[in-house]
Amino acid sequence: MVPLPNRSHLQLLTVIGRRLIEGLFTAWAAVTLTFFALRIAGGDPADNLLAQGLASAEQAQALRQQLGLDHPLGIQYLEFMRNLTRGDLGISLYTARPVGRVIGEQLPYTIALALSGLMIALALGFVFGALAAWRERTAEGRFAAAMSDLATALPVAFTGILILYLALMLSLAIGRPMAAPGLLLPAIVLGITSSGPIGRVVQAGLRESLNSEYILAARARGLPGGARLLWHAVRPALSPVISLIALEAAYLFSGTVVTETVFSRPGLGRLLVKSILEADFPIAQALVVLAALFYTTSHILADLAAIMLDPRQRRAG
Amino acid sequence: MRRNFTFSWAVVWLIGITVIALAAPLIAPYNPRLPVGAALSPAGDGTMLGTDGLGRDLLSRLMYGARYSLLSSLAATLITLSIGLTLGLLASGSVGFVDRMLLALANAGLAIPGLLLAMLFVAGIGPGLPTVILAVGLGGSPGFIRLARSIFKSLMQEGYVDAARALGAGRVRIALFHLLPNAMPQLVALATTHYAWAFLGTTTLTFLGLAGDPSLPEWGAMLDAGRTYLIQAPILSLLPGLLITLTVFAVHRAGLGLSTSSQPG
Repeated sequence: MVPLPNRSHLQLLTVIGRRLIEGLFTAWAAVTLTFFALRIAGGDPADNLLAQGLASAEQAQALRQQLGLDHPLGIQYLEFMRNLTRGDLGISLYTARPVGRVIGEQLPYTIALALSGLMIALALGFVFGALAAWRERTAEGRFAAAMSDLATALPVAFTGILILYLALMLSLAIGRPMAAPGLLLPAIVLGITSSGPIGRVVQAGLRESLNSEYILAARARGLPGGARLLWHAVRPALSPVISLIALEAAYLFSGTVVTETVFSRPGLGRLLVKSILEADFPIAQALVVLAALFYTTSHILADLAAIMLDPRQRRAG
Repeated sequence: MRRNFTFSWAVVWLIGITVIALAAPLIAPYNPRLPVGAALSPAGDGTMLGTDGLGRDLLSRLMYGARYSLLSSLAATLITLSIGLTLGLLASGSVGFVDRMLLALANAGLAIPGLLLAMLFVAGIGPGLPTVILAVGLGGSPGFIRLARSIFKSLMQEGYVDAARALGAGRVRIALFHLLPNAMPQLVALATTHYAWAFLGTTTLTFLGLAGDPSLPEWGAMLDAGRTYLIQAPILSLLPGLLITLTVFAVHRAGLGLSTSSQPG
């Protein structure tokens, strides 16, 4: 290994630094947008509770004072940001418990679901994407490409109910009542949904790199067929996949909202729906803020990973 | 050739359900909100597709469902379009600060998945079908602003914009009479693809019960309501689910077809 010259280190640091600052700015802007969108759309949350008959006029007034809703919007915003930097997400209107604790209780369920869903999505996406690129003009290649298209088109809610229905039929057929759906079925549903875009990106990346000059060069050096696909072609095709995983990771959360509802599984998604129906705005707000922070973080990480994996991107900045 | 084939079928499907949606009050055999017989009665027993858990005619509910689902996502798309086009034009027509601020706003919105952004608005306003429509319209805006801006920006480079400017046309005139008409083919394709997203978004939110009315004859709400009877009458939720899937797929294909035909070469 020849050590990199000093200048390129500096260049790399500049690219990384710029990306971090951009990410911080986006995160701040998204959190600010969340705060103001909720206030401007909803007006006064205490009024909403009043209108839905969930609180009396006195309770609403007390709530307004307790939440500081009688202060000007700007002051409320500063208060909100100060609490957020301290990790204080507020108090649930419905149960009067700290929002942080309520979310903390549901978090492990959603993480387990999202991670296993992502594993299944990656496995399906890579198999179908690689097959579609490698056997492009054959029946199995076309079948693989069609599977990615189908997975993209299926709405999560329908996939979920279809899988649930098939599982119910299967359990009736073998004469054993289905136990409470564990992690597997919801993870399969989530996996199928996210596998479509991954499959397409793997297919596009592999097709491009298989036809590229460096593959031709590797072949000229006498690299055998199998190894050529595995390392030389996959490595440059990986970086768009990693960016996509970062995108998908945030969208997986939207998927878990539906999947958790279909399978009546505890988790952040169910919590979000419940908090909206109960007009418990601090929980809904905190969940969206967390989703936005998670999205920006995973995006930065993906960009850094792309820079590490694909040297061409180091010059981009 | 193949693309044309799927494109034609997608258009046929869309015209079909649009006609059914428009004619629902005329052709639906029963009132979709009132029971017509025993609950969960099978197909053919006086009703073509059987009845739901409250004894209402499934076929009539599906027909009215087309009306509710298609119209509410259309309304949501129109909201997105008006916000996206106004801000997109504003951003591309102005230089420096305003453009950068609008782009930052769109990027901040894009950092929140569209569906969650929509749910945030529902959380603010409270559940209900009008809320769902508004929320999906607002939730889809950030992406649309950015795409519209980039379309307008690329058109700004065209010669006719310079020509118009040389003839003394102001910014508003250039935006409304030169940029907008020339961007139309791309915008129509973009709006069609966006309609698929809006349709998926509205039916997902109503599926989650955010329309606030579980008896609403709307495909997403029906997909949810039918879940309870998945063993006794699977058709109650599988059929609306299938209709949603086919429609999303058809709109998406139509949008793809339009965008390939709107790009010369």
